[in-house]
Amino acid sequence: MTDNDVIVAEGIVKTYDDSGVPVHAVRDIDYTLQKGEFTAIIGPSGSGKTTFLNVLAGLDTPTEGKVWLSGKLISDMSGRELSDFRRDHIGFIFQAYNLFPVLTVEENVEYVMLLQGVPSGERHDRVMDILEKVGIAEYAGRLPMQLSGGQQQRVAVARSMVSRPSLVIADEPTANLDSKTSGALLDMMRRLNEETGMTFLFSTHDEVVMQRARKIVVLQDGKIDGKASPEEC
Amino acid sequence: MFIRLVKFAWKIIWRNFRRTVITGLAVGLGLGSLMFTEALMQGMTAHMIQTTTESWMGDAQIHRDYFLDTRNINPTINRPDSILSMLDGDSTVSFYTARILSPASVTSTTELKPVTFIGVDSETDPEVTMLEAAVIEGSYLSGDSTEIIIGHKLADDLNAGPGDVIVITAAQADSGLSSSMFFVSGICRFGSDNLDRYSAFINLTTAGEMLGIPGEIHEIAVKFPQAEAGADTSLGFWRRFSVFGNSALGWPELAPQVGSMLSMVDISMAIMAVILFGLVVFGIVNSLFMSVFERMYEFGVMKAVGTRTGTITAMVVLEAFWIAVISAVIGSVIGLLIIWITSKTGISFGEIEVSGIVFDKPIYPLLNLSRLRLYPLFTLILTTAAGIYPGIHAGRLNPAEAMRKSL
Repeated sequence: MTDNDVIVAEGIVKTYDDSGVPVHAVRDIDYTLQKGEFTAIIGPSGSGKTTFLNVLAGLDTPTEGKVWLSGKLISDMSGRELSDFRRDHIGFIFQAYNLFPVLTVEENVEYVMLLQGVPSGERHDRVMDILEKVGIAEYAGRLPMQLSGGQQQRVAVARSMVSRPSLVIADEPTANLDSKTSGALLDMMRRLNEETGMTFLFSTHDEVVMQRARKIVVLQDGKIDGKASPEEC
Repeated sequence: MFIRLVKFAWKIIWRNFRRTVITGLAVGLGLGSLMFTEALMQGMTAHMIQTTTESWMGDAQIHRDYFLDTRNINPTINRPDSILSMLDGDSTVSFYTARILSPASVTSTTELKPVTFIGVDSETDPEVTMLEAAVIEGSYLSGDSTEIIIGHKLADDLNAGPGDVIVITAAQADSGLSSSMFFVSGICRFGSDNLDRYSAFINLTTAGEMLGIPGEIHEIAVKFPQAEAGADTSLGFWRRFSVFGNSALGWPELAPQVGSMLSMVDISMAIMAVILFGLVVFGIVNSLFMSVFERMYEFGVMKAVGTRTGTITAMVVLEAFWIAVISAVIGSVIGLLIIWITSKTGISFGEIEVSGIVFDKPIYPLLNLSRLRLYPLFTLILTTAAGIYPGIHAGRLNPAEAMRKSL
């Protein structure tokens, strides 16, 4: 493990046993994600992408194996430590945007900073700054339902980045968007990656995302089936 | 952060407007009905105390120590003049009246009935009892030695009316028998079987002479400025007048059945409150769990972005708090409105008798805010507390599982 490693995963196995029949979602994966990467995990539905991301982000515990996040072993952290760690180091983007419907765009974006205890004035400045960057500053006072799908996902991107995490994890971020909006969103995210040096890890089976990723990890039946550049896909 | 959570919780409960309103109404109606029942019970209690003390008993009575145990003719009040003189000078006493009581038989031209034969002071009695006001036919005692007032039921039993002659026969203090003839001067109606069927009222002096105890009395009925003083054991009155072998007793001791009824009312209210608040708690827990299950993904997201377990629990508890506030407001408005209306109109139960007390007049619910304010307070506390369990459940959700299961 080097200082440049954001995530190191060794021998990750995740098995679900909800209905008495074991389902092997992730099988014995070793994986390392380095700072500044803009990587897509691709694979068909049911290949284990979301489960793999959840385990890497500390949202779920692996059945077997170990995960280090920024050099810290997840299994050594208490629930509270892990929660605080995610709050301070990881930004999340979900496929269904998952903004809080009763909060305005500004309130949604500042939520994580509120948890971090950032002072009110600084919160406002940082929210407006990131909303400018994602191009929706004029919608700061609107509720999510008053925005289009693409605009809502921009808000989700702003929310994931405003706390200045070292890693942004996005699970199928373009699943509910048309190809034009998806392309614009990915271009924006890549620009932010280049400007800020933040690490991005996506799961997707969207070609628009694959084309803009700098690295691609192929997942098949819960196992890494290879790594490739976008040109090879 | 806390203020933002409070605002967040307020916005969340209005996401499902219908459920919040229905929950608020359900809890509010329960609270309103409990407040109304409490006010009605207070009204009934006041009516019972009023009927017991104002109609005949007074707020307190003084007797010879063992008179109430035997009700014999001989244990008259010891040193009555001293006692009456002390009562004149006692600032806690509003009015008092002296009485003689004795078992007797009353005979008309057709019937013979057992009665309690009561000698009353026709001048002081109207300040303490309702006898004068209870006369529905004929007239009140004027001081004539041959006049007698009987209850309307006894009049029916004896087939006697105003002007008719009846004969009272009673044992004298020296064990002899004494019979006297009286003219019925008035028929009274108290609404109590004991007074309407089994009592006959004559002048105090006449009673003393007839029983051979002139100048003696069996009972002094006392009225305080407030009837509640009769139940106040800390009052110095009891000590001051329990002297010379006499005892001063308040209405709860004189009419223990009323005291028991009042205790029963308190217990009934407590049971009702426990049942109702129990239902409220389960209703709120159910409502909040529905809300939590509907928002599983949202809670998953909240946990994913770093919201601590305690913060999520606090948010659900705050949602319960807001529902509690809404319910308490709705319930208080409903309860106070019904109480206010019925306190003007009264509620008639027809003519029922409980523990010898007849409820023949409308009952007026009493607006006693010092007690009524406790119910909205309990609603607030219990409904908010009901949010703890769903809140802990929401806080402990595994983020990945919450998002996976709600998809």
